[in-house]
Amino acid sequence: MIMLLTGLLTTAALAGGVLSLAALGEVLAERVGVTDLGVEGLMSIGAATAALAAIASGSPWVGLLAAICVGAAGAAAFAFAAVVMRANQVLCGLATTFLGLGLSATIGHSVAGLPLPVTFGPEPVPLLSSIPVIGPAFFGQNLLVFPIYLVLPALLHMLLFHTRHGLNMRAVGENPAAADAVGVPVQAIRFWYTVLGGAFAGAAGAYLSLAVIPSWSEGMVSGRGWIAVALVIFSGYRPFNAAGAGLLFGLISAIGFLGQARGWPIAAPVLNMLPYLGTLAFIILPVVLWKRMRRAMAAPAALGFPYYRSVR
Amino acid sequence: MTRFQRFPTAPARLVLAWRAAALVAAALIVGGLLALSGRDVFVLGELVLRSTVGSRFGLEDLALFMTPLVLTGAAVTVTSRIGLWNIGGEGQFYLGAIGAAGVGLYMPGPQIVVLPLMALAAIACGMAWIVVPTLARAYAGVSEIITTLLLNFVAGLLTYWLATGPWRDRVTGALASSGRISDAIPELWGVVHWGFPLSLAIAAGLAAIMTWTSWGYEVRVSGANPGAARYAGMPMRGRVIAVMLLSGALAALAGMFEVAGTVHRLQGGMADNFGYLGIVVAVLARRSCLAVIPAALLMALILDAGIVLQTQQLAATAVLAITGLVLLLIAIGDELAHYRPVAPASSTRSGAAA
Repeated sequence: MIMLLTGLLTTAALAGGVLSLAALGEVLAERVGVTDLGVEGLMSIGAATAALAAIASGSPWVGLLAAICVGAAGAAAFAFAAVVMRANQVLCGLATTFLGLGLSATIGHSVAGLPLPVTFGPEPVPLLSSIPVIGPAFFGQNLLVFPIYLVLPALLHMLLFHTRHGLNMRAVGENPAAADAVGVPVQAIRFWYTVLGGAFAGAAGAYLSLAVIPSWSEGMVSGRGWIAVALVIFSGYRPFNAAGAGLLFGLISAIGFLGQARGWPIAAPVLNMLPYLGTLAFIILPVVLWKRMRRAMAAPAALGFPYYRSVR
Repeated sequence: MTRFQRFPTAPARLVLAWRAAALVAAALIVGGLLALSGRDVFVLGELVLRSTVGSRFGLEDLALFMTPLVLTGAAVTVTSRIGLWNIGGEGQFYLGAIGAAGVGLYMPGPQIVVLPLMALAAIACGMAWIVVPTLARAYAGVSEIITTLLLNFVAGLLTYWLATGPWRDRVTGALASSGRISDAIPELWGVVHWGFPLSLAIAAGLAAIMTWTSWGYEVRVSGANPGAARYAGMPMRGRVIAVMLLSGALAALAGMFEVAGTVHRLQGGMADNFGYLGIVVAVLARRSCLAVIPAALLMALILDAGIVLQTQQLAATAVLAITGLVLLLIAIGDELAHYRPVAPASSTRSGAAA
């Protein structure tokens, strides 16, 4: 039983890290009022870039860094259209997803399906990794798992809720006109946090192709970016909840893997539906069951609306 | 000095001008990238023209691409009229294909009976697929964007499971594909089947409903100004539900046409992004069901050109990247069309008002 639980949690922490990382980035963008629906594309191009850079350089860290840069660059293109030019955010996001998916398949063509020579392998942290159940899951795997679930959410939580700058960020997402009136640079904050969110998405792609799968193939992101966007809604735009939600969905995928490994009499494609159906249930049910949640978990008031200074 | 001010409306001529500029910019970027990768752009351009509008095969392909695009584009357009986004066209397309294939595979009978039944089964499946997002939107206010989209992946997996499992081809053993369906939509011109004129007629019919019926009027008002619609006592919730179900039915019909007209099997991955490209078509059509037709033509041209590029050792997905680029530039162009030059700010009136 303990073995089973440890195994499940280990797989969950590994697979859920992709969702958590991408969801954390999306929390940043959405808190400042920008719906970035390009996550799926940014993750895809991050994954392809990471595979290429890791092969070329022989180091997974270079791959991660390259993916972060590419994710940020892609998000900068999105933010240029959606924030600077104030074009429709839904359209720009979809366009970014198309661009990312198309470009990643084009540039990753040469390494598609190849097993990567360098990956983020398990590097157990001494002492901590021997804690039963949670030790192997969070400290016995690659060095990115622990930061994704604890360090990054803590940093983002501090930034958003315990600094003056975080207050400004949230003001930009809730009421940009008021923020503008007290001198907060609305457009700059929106632009740079969207770019930072894209860097997270790129990192999530790198984590997917260098630690989870580990290989690059076309269509490997398979909706994880969209699930991450949904998790942000589910998590009420809070970093710790977003990371936790990623872990929860890692667990759902892990149950699917377990089913396949144990030869449950359910076809693999049906088990693979679990994360999508789970996400659907988790964004609909809470709103239906607890009406009071709607307020506490509500989206930033100005989410999705471009800010025009002249319109009052 | 002339000042540019943003107006709430964008005149059609400005939109067209900016979009033309966006398309030219996209063509320049793509051409530039191709030239950088050492390809002769002019030879390639000529090849694209010759194999799209310049030959009978090209024109037939164009019509075959247009058929599903008109329907999935119309599916997104009707929801955009009421201010919603149905991003789940891909999934509803699959469900339509599943419904049609189910009837086609397991129901014997004369073609004249089976084909309409296939269409009805497709429509029923497509509507069933959008029911949960629709009710969640109408009664709980859950954003329909994510819910419709997530179901695309489920539908893709369901299709794959059916095509590799219970419905797999036991005769020829084709990969991830059901057996051949004998009931086919009759052909009209070469490989172009009657689904093509039918889809154009459906788009025109939708345009007529939206423009001339009170139902269409209420949908348009509900989308343009929800507050006014509620104040006028229009049944907003009912309209939202009806429009979403209609949207699901349209996308599903595209799936049925593809099964019965072009592919003649249920295949894993057969939706081939038609559902997602429907979003692009709807954006290009700017909420007009009639404009869906030229928009689908443009999209079909891009897809057709993509096939040519594929023969030139470019990945098939390059066309997806090109579509994304076009969509991004057009989104910017549409926003820029809201800006018009106005009289200098130094005039006395605006000075007094400020």
